[in-house]
Amino acid sequence: MSTTEVVTSRKLKGKDLITIGIFSAIYFVINFIFMLAAALHPIMWILMPGFIALFTGVPYMILASKVQKAGAVLIMGLISGLIYYATGMFTVVILITFASACVLAELIRLATKYKSFTGNSISFAIFSVGMIGSPLPMWLFKESFFEQISVQTGQGGIISGNYLSILSGLATDGMLFVLILAPVVLGVIGALIAKALFKKHFVKAGIV
Amino acid sequence: MITINNVSFDYNREKNTLKNINLYIKPGECVLLCGKSGSGKTTVTKLINGLIPHFTENGRLDGTVVAAGMEVAKTELYKLSKKIGSVFQNPKSQFFNIDSDAELAYALENMGTTPEHMRERLKDTVEELQLEQLEHRSIFTMSGGERQMLAFASIYAMNPDIYVLDEPTANLDENAIAIFRHQLEELKRKGKTILIAEHRLYFLTDLIDRAVYMENGELVSIYTRDEFLAFSDEQRIKMGLRTLRADAFHATDFPMLSSANVLTVKDLCCEIKGSCIFDHVSFHVGSGEIVGIKGNNGVGKSRLVRCICGLAKEKKGSISLDGRPMTRRQRNKECFCVMQDVNHQLFCDSVWNECELSAGDYREAEIETVLRAFNLLGYKNVHPMALSGGQKQRLAIACGVLSGNKILVFDEPTSGLDYDHMMAVAGMIRELAEKKHIILIVSHDIEFLNCVCDRTITLTFNELQPKDNGGNRL
Amino acid sequence: MVRKSKYEGATCLDPRAALLLLLLVTVVVFAQQSLYLEFALVTVLVGLFLCCGLFKNGLIFMLGFGFLLVLQYYIFPIAPQIFADFFAILTSYARKVFPCIMVGMLIVKTIPMRYLILAMRKWHFPQKLIIPLSVTLCYFPVIREEIGHIRDAMKLRKVSGAAKAEAILVPLIFSAANTAEELGAAAVTRGIENPAPKTSVIELRFRLRDYICIAVGLIFVLAVFWLKRGAI
Repeated sequence: MSTTEVVTSRKLKGKDLITIGIFSAIYFVINFIFMLAAALHPIMWILMPGFIALFTGVPYMILASKVQKAGAVLIMGLISGLIYYATGMFTVVILITFASACVLAELIRLATKYKSFTGNSISFAIFSVGMIGSPLPMWLFKESFFEQISVQTGQGGIISGNYLSILSGLATDGMLFVLILAPVVLGVIGALIAKALFKKHFVKAGIV
Repeated sequence: MITINNVSFDYNREKNTLKNINLYIKPGECVLLCGKSGSGKTTVTKLINGLIPHFTENGRLDGTVVAAGMEVAKTELYKLSKKIGSVFQNPKSQFFNIDSDAELAYALENMGTTPEHMRERLKDTVEELQLEQLEHRSIFTMSGGERQMLAFASIYAMNPDIYVLDEPTANLDENAIAIFRHQLEELKRKGKTILIAEHRLYFLTDLIDRAVYMENGELVSIYTRDEFLAFSDEQRIKMGLRTLRADAFHATDFPMLSSANVLTVKDLCCEIKGSCIFDHVSFHVGSGEIVGIKGNNGVGKSRLVRCICGLAKEKKGSISLDGRPMTRRQRNKECFCVMQDVNHQLFCDSVWNECELSAGDYREAEIETVLRAFNLLGYKNVHPMALSGGQKQRLAIACGVLSGNKILVFDEPTSGLDYDHMMAVAGMIRELAEKKHIILIVSHDIEFLNCVCDRTITLTFNELQPKDNGGNRL
Repeated sequence: MVRKSKYEGATCLDPRAALLLLLLVTVVVFAQQSLYLEFALVTVLVGLFLCCGLFKNGLIFMLGFGFLLVLQYYIFPIAPQIFADFFAILTSYARKVFPCIMVGMLIVKTIPMRYLILAMRKWHFPQKLIIPLSVTLCYFPVIREEIGHIRDAMKLRKVSGAAKAEAILVPLIFSAANTAEELGAAAVTRGIENPAPKTSVIELRFRLRDYICIAVGLIFVLAVFWLKRGAI
């Protein structure tokens, strides 16, 4: 007579990979909705990383608690990045910020041993900051960005100085601060919402 | 081929899910696992395909299982998968690709089969299972039956020695079951070993060699086919098993019971993206009546009830209650639909709150009565998603009753139910009819329709399509 | 740029060629500042669309690009302030990434997911990325289906206000968790954990058209840097 007890493996197994895939899909859909909403107004664009952080807390935290192993968050980030890249929507800048945020988030999970809620929340806030790469070229390539616009309008004949100043008015240090801080603050709030829903639903129903 | 030697298993170290199972299955045998829900049938299938112990965390397994010459607990899942193929209950959650061709080849690709051999296997699979109509299709345009056929085919392509089937027909209609039956015959002819856990038994009677009856995690008795088929109805019902015969449909066409509170559907026509699904559908349902809606897959049964509930738009025609035509919004208020997948319609964090959401203003006494009637009062603080499938369904029905809606629609209420649960649902529906609800049931479960409906309506394809869809060529 | 426009059962472009083209176009887009080059790139890409038989999409992109140009050159300078405020950054950004989106659209429209996965396998992407990625792509249509069902259910019950977001998200997550469990079981019994190198019925190969595409892409990259050198 033999008795077999199953020990949870620390490496990602088939089921983990599938769980990551499914929750990445939910994450991506929410992310994509706000990516589209960002087209409405430049302000929406700057606040986009924040909004995404607020609403993706639930899928992120569920994934983090269902797959308490190294790599889950990194793969989720890579998947989103790859889909955005293959559809032509990710540029080099966001790829860099997004990838570094994923790695940092993963490191924080490692340091906090995957189980701690605080650790996961911090990693989520950092993960969310990755999306700032989308509007960031406004600051990074400030000169060429506005030069291009003014050259273009210049060729068109009339330069509206007022219009240019409003544009550059958005790309201020203050706004940059908002851009970076929003996902951190809203990310923490998103994680707290997730915590509330965990308590109300997911733990009670026994899925995490 | 399969030897289960003195196996006990529990999922969470508290109670034994399986107790001292011993079973030997010869090569080429087809063995049925039957018994009530929760008797441990699925757990036994998992012992063989290796989901226990490899996929189930924190479980505890005693004893040994040897299948296809491998000791299951000590063999990696991917090695087991080459010799043991598994098909599961839910056709929605067995896919990894968007198109059918890729899905068919998926298991072979995982094994690292050479392209030449793979092409040959795929060609044979398509020919032997007659799957021409499934080739080059998007899985998302397929019906549940087609998806299940494809899941089966992708396993067949791997050519395993053992097939482990866990309630493969739970979501299938008669035609799809007939096709599935033919596929099983093909397997038997090839001398494959088959272990099938099922509730619906009528299509298996001349395929199985033995039947294993389970109760509370124990293997109670093993019958030969002749012994199994010799059961009287009384005996079978006592064991909680569903019918062994392919029932003819016999619900009589009663005249309408009452003339008050009549749901009238007149000349209804629905379209999806400009193409007509059905046209000139007209019927009446009186209050207190139970009417079944049947028809082949794809004929638009679900569309019809969605339209009646005001969830889909009608192209022409009217739906009226008591002679008053209703707008879509009004139909939303008058109807309640118990959906095929009740998971989609439970939103709250406890059974009680779920009821309050439907009942509205402080009708505590009423909620209590209903919950008691549905055997759920003891669970009032439990999260709906922590309930069993049958309990969730009862909760959804309870919400429908509490909402006070006149018209109750049931969409496939018996998929995957054993005899006892099926009869319980039938009983509940009859009680609702006595309370003068107007009840519509969409189902392809003839056994169930026979025992609950006053009459049925058969939806057929519109004139543009051949009427004779009953004979399946597969 | 691609002479053969006949769809040969396989894809228009080899998926690897398409992904490389996307990379080259991204480089061009972010390095260039010349209107003429931008114009040439969009024209060539529209040509590629036509060659692949995507007439309607090609036309839409052509008109779209024309619209952006008209907006920037003729409308904004005379438009009311508020209008420019709203759309200026957006249009200039849209114009900048326009060629990338075009190639992205080409990939989505002409290359089945199966080929993209295969391309990733050929490039030795790890299985630990490919498996979840293919699950993600399969799960998008499921999410749409599920949300449809959930919204139907909500209409028949009295869910309103802020509870709506919760009422959609919570069943969606429950269903996702269940699917993960069931799909995981189906996956392991189909040998997903098999370490053997995966094979495929489809053989990817570069054809002339693929080489031409990459060559043209490279010419653009060279042109960009040559122009830059000229500027310095």
